[in-house]
Amino acid sequence: MGTAVTHAPATEDLTKDSEPRHRPAKSPRPAALKRRGRRETLAGYLFMSPWIAGFLLLTAGPMVASLYFAFTDYNLFDAPRWIGLDNFSEMFADPRWQNSVKVTLWYVAVGTPIKLIAALGVALLLAQKRRGQAFYRAAFYAPSLIGASVSIAIVWKAIFSDDAIVDRTQKLFGIDVGGWTGDPDLIIYSLVALTVWQFGAPMVIFLAGLKQVPRELYEAAEVDGAGTFRRFWNITLPMISPVLFFNVLLETIHSFQIFSSAYIVGGGAGGNACGPADGSMVYTCYLYVQGFENSRMGLASAMAWVLLVAVALVTAVLFWSQKRWVHYEEGA
Amino acid sequence: MHQDKNVERRTVLKAAGASLAVAGLGATATACGGGSGSGDGTVTIRYAWWGAEDRAERIKKTIALFEKKYPKIKVKTDFQVYPDFWKKFNTQASGGNPPDVFQNAIGFLRKYDAKNVLLDLNAQVEAGNLSLDGFRAGLEKFGEVDGKLLGIPVGSNSMALVIDKPVYTKSGVKPEQGWTWDDFDAAMKKIRDKAGRAGDSGMYGVMYLYDLYLRQNGKAFFTEDGLGFTEADLKEWWTKAEKGIKQGIYADPKKVAQTKPKSAVAAELAAGEFTWDNFTVRYTSEGKSEYGLAPIPTTDGKKTGQYLGSLMLSASRRTQHPKEVAQFINFMVHEPEVAKIMGYDRGVPATQAQYDAFKPTDPVNKAIAEYEESLVAAGVLEPITPHPNGADICEAGFMRIAEELALGKRSVDDAVKQFFTESKTALGS
Repeated sequence: MGTAVTHAPATEDLTKDSEPRHRPAKSPRPAALKRRGRRETLAGYLFMSPWIAGFLLLTAGPMVASLYFAFTDYNLFDAPRWIGLDNFSEMFADPRWQNSVKVTLWYVAVGTPIKLIAALGVALLLAQKRRGQAFYRAAFYAPSLIGASVSIAIVWKAIFSDDAIVDRTQKLFGIDVGGWTGDPDLIIYSLVALTVWQFGAPMVIFLAGLKQVPRELYEAAEVDGAGTFRRFWNITLPMISPVLFFNVLLETIHSFQIFSSAYIVGGGAGGNACGPADGSMVYTCYLYVQGFENSRMGLASAMAWVLLVAVALVTAVLFWSQKRWVHYEEGA
Repeated sequence: MHQDKNVERRTVLKAAGASLAVAGLGATATACGGGSGSGDGTVTIRYAWWGAEDRAERIKKTIALFEKKYPKIKVKTDFQVYPDFWKKFNTQASGGNPPDVFQNAIGFLRKYDAKNVLLDLNAQVEAGNLSLDGFRAGLEKFGEVDGKLLGIPVGSNSMALVIDKPVYTKSGVKPEQGWTWDDFDAAMKKIRDKAGRAGDSGMYGVMYLYDLYLRQNGKAFFTEDGLGFTEADLKEWWTKAEKGIKQGIYADPKKVAQTKPKSAVAAELAAGEFTWDNFTVRYTSEGKSEYGLAPIPTTDGKKTGQYLGSLMLSASRRTQHPKEVAQFINFMVHEPEVAKIMGYDRGVPATQAQYDAFKPTDPVNKAIAEYEESLVAAGVLEPITPHPNGADICEAGFMRIAEELALGKRSVDDAVKQFFTESKTALGS
């Protein structure tokens, strides 16, 4: 949240700055001034109108519609029929839905911490001044630029299939479990690996956070005889806790929305809907199957809203918890 | 100066506003202008199908032929692989913008008829734009639902056992018309022992094969409005499957799952697979071995339960050019040149004229022709099982739950229960 807090005043300053510039220093006619102000407001809205139109037509409108569909039986062809809460009761009783919730929670609970720990670890290494620093930063950041793409997911599928590199490497060590993508229990870990591999984005944010920690705190601690771990635990971690909080929040929300990698690694076009025996059937994949394969748009809309509420709840819990572990500098 | 600047800004604003408005109008105009047809009487129709790249190449050649003969009709094409086809179609059709003419199959006729998507082609037959003469084996009736003509068959196919010929020979297995399930099970064991390969890729999840098995026993997968078998029937079928996987006579489901969409036979994971006979064309392009067709095993030594299936062409009820669409379908099913280009890619051509026009010379297509002729000669063909609205979802569920069973994620009892629950939902709504 640290970034957001620092951003807000900055924007405010900008507007304060620019207002007097447009206004003549001493105006004898306040009415004309008002008129011009209104005109400028109008102009502002006019320039914003493409964005506003896009927001209303492409985001707000469909959201309202989907909220309505969530309470209807809607198959895309016939007019939606109001059925009250039936979609929700059917959803909660559906074992495939329960499975998708389990798979998703597992993915979030395992993938997010590993990714953040990897990001923080590498950020700590790269925070020290050394030769080729810029190169390493770029190299570790690169995967998160391309990681979400379809082509990487296809490559990932190939890496974790039978007789591919992962299978052969683990056989060298006498582990013969076959390719992960064919195993309903293992396929989710190939997705976890894919998300962990993209630790570059949170790493960059951690790096920025680490730069903010005042050097003198470390120097003082060193004088007092604190070791490396002690310094990390008692100085670094509390000092970067706002950044850590921001990363936890962002990555958690992001993880809940995993779709394309699960869809493609799990089979995608021409294969299983999402993994053998629904092994990588994450929430959004099941939503897609219900909506577009089974033409049950009402049910799919209901699922989308349940996901939204669930993510909102998780976010609320995280915000509530920050009182206990996130330290904002007093008076800053 | 100050004043001028303001004017300037206002002009800029107006210009910006105007261009926005124009852009907006333009967008609406193009959105509404999705319809086709222009001043000189040229009409454009959209044609969509599912299939692989090689089918697309053949179809495009036939379209070039059509456009030459009907210069006033232009055809825009679009194709997807099978599972993606209906997703795109559903989205387009629900938005009121389905393709004018598209590939279809029996399993979808009732479903899309119930959704008012399909055009009744009877009117076009009466108007003389579409001829129902010259179809083989009563195929012209295949697209009829409740007196409405909803699809015109382009080819016929039937279920078969596609086999890896060298593996069968090596194991000393010779399938013959009328062999029984006991013979088949013994053959599977023999192949596993002698060739070191699973005999079958996963027949327990093939809805169309289970349908044949049920038909051999006086039942069927579907009735007009529901399932035609009991939980006890399916329990027996899947108990056998569970045993076969453990014994290694059915291929390792983990490996089969990974090789998709490539077939397990072409990937050399299994010696055979129950599927549609025209799929040998595809397997031959996918795999390295030599592939042949074997008869369906029977329960009583005679009855296979087989029927002819068919790919069809259907028209959209919303098309603005029903006449041109009918002319297009008519050309595609009757023109002999089309058959020469398509071969048996979509099954054996539906009309006698097209059937006569393409005489296969390569072993793969020859085998398909011989197979279908042998079915006619053996007199085993029967009327097709009905496909109620929701049949496609039942089929997908059957395949998926069978896979879950095979992977050990479900017990037989659990799998059977789950399938019946899902089917009830799919067929009930």
